[in-house]
Amino acid sequence: MRVTQGTFSYLPDLTDAQITKQIQFALDNNWPISIEYTNDPHPRNSYWEMFGLPMFDLKDAAAILGEVARARREYPDAYIKVNAYDARYGRQTTALSFIINRPATEPGFRLERQNANDRVQRYTIAAYSADTAKETRYST
Amino acid sequence: MNVTAGDMEAMYERAEFAKEIGSVIIMIDLTIGYTAMQSMAKWSRKNGLILHLHRAGHSTYTRQKTHGVSFRVIAKWCRLIGVDHIHAGTVVGKLEGDPRTTAGYYDTLRENFIPTNPANGIYFDQEWASMPGVLPVASGGIHAGQMHDLLNLLGEDVVLQFGGGTIGHPDGIAAGATANRVALEAMILARNEGRDYVAQGPEILKEAAKSCAPLARALDLWKDISFNYESTDTPDAVATPSH
Repeated sequence: MRVTQGTFSYLPDLTDAQITKQIQFALDNNWPISIEYTNDPHPRNSYWEMFGLPMFDLKDAAAILGEVARARREYPDAYIKVNAYDARYGRQTTALSFIINRPATEPGFRLERQNANDRVQRYTIAAYSADTAKETRYST
Repeated sequence: MNVTAGDMEAMYERAEFAKEIGSVIIMIDLTIGYTAMQSMAKWSRKNGLILHLHRAGHSTYTRQKTHGVSFRVIAKWCRLIGVDHIHAGTVVGKLEGDPRTTAGYYDTLRENFIPTNPANGIYFDQEWASMPGVLPVASGGIHAGQMHDLLNLLGEDVVLQFGGGTIGHPDGIAAGATANRVALEAMILARNEGRDYVAQGPEILKEAAKSCAPLARALDLWKDISFNYESTDTPDAVATPSH
């Protein structure tokens, strides 16, 4: 199943030229870019691993695309996303975030059922890709 | 879940039930009154649920020029009360709404500083300091084919609620939801790329529909649907050039 998180995830995968334009839009708005990756794409997992520090001082879209390419080389089987942060007072949040790499096959999520008190059934989902131990999850 | 009920006790009971079954959001109607809205805002904050306010009934007193209360004032009160969402008009949907007046409501809900702008119904500077905003909700008669207009008129910090525009899709609700999401993402992509998305809106949607059959179907079904009637809810000031 195709994981649909962030924006543009319902569109066909963006080309490098399209990604560069989005990065440029973020830079034009003064939104610093960061890159994050994970093998646990649970929709509530907001703690993806940082691929280096946010690029506060990098204002060159082509150079940032170079970092995107490096992240893809290092973690080809991971989900990787580009984030842009709006630091303005009153907003102070992620203004743009989109996935730019996904595993060749996306195994999806398992539904887990738990018996609670009074015959209540509680449901949760878990990403199959997060099942393997963390040490072996990343392909470096 | 709409927890609106005849008394506070029943409302709390419904809200507790919504929380128990894992709902992240509850809805109240404006008809419950300001004291009850304030109480539900406190309850929601304490219990970690989002409070969605439907403005049911507002038109009985917001659309008279001779008496009543402007919706702009209600929007302000609701921001002070601390609701998280409020229905604030669509401009292009089935509910009437003049674009400038609606912009005045949206500014009142979202901005930290709102300068005087009589054409939008803002008659004096309003300083909101750090008071959190309210997310406006556009709901009623909107569909994927209007995405360029919705983005242009309402901006991006907004909830676009497609009801009939999702459920009415001939291939089912999932196809309807996909069509709307693809239309939105295609429009944001085009805007960020610097394209004139308002003028090229229909073209951008048509391009996106090439790789998304549900969107192609939605555009075809709703292409002739529009609601163009005169609004009674207009600013009292007439916009005149200042120089």
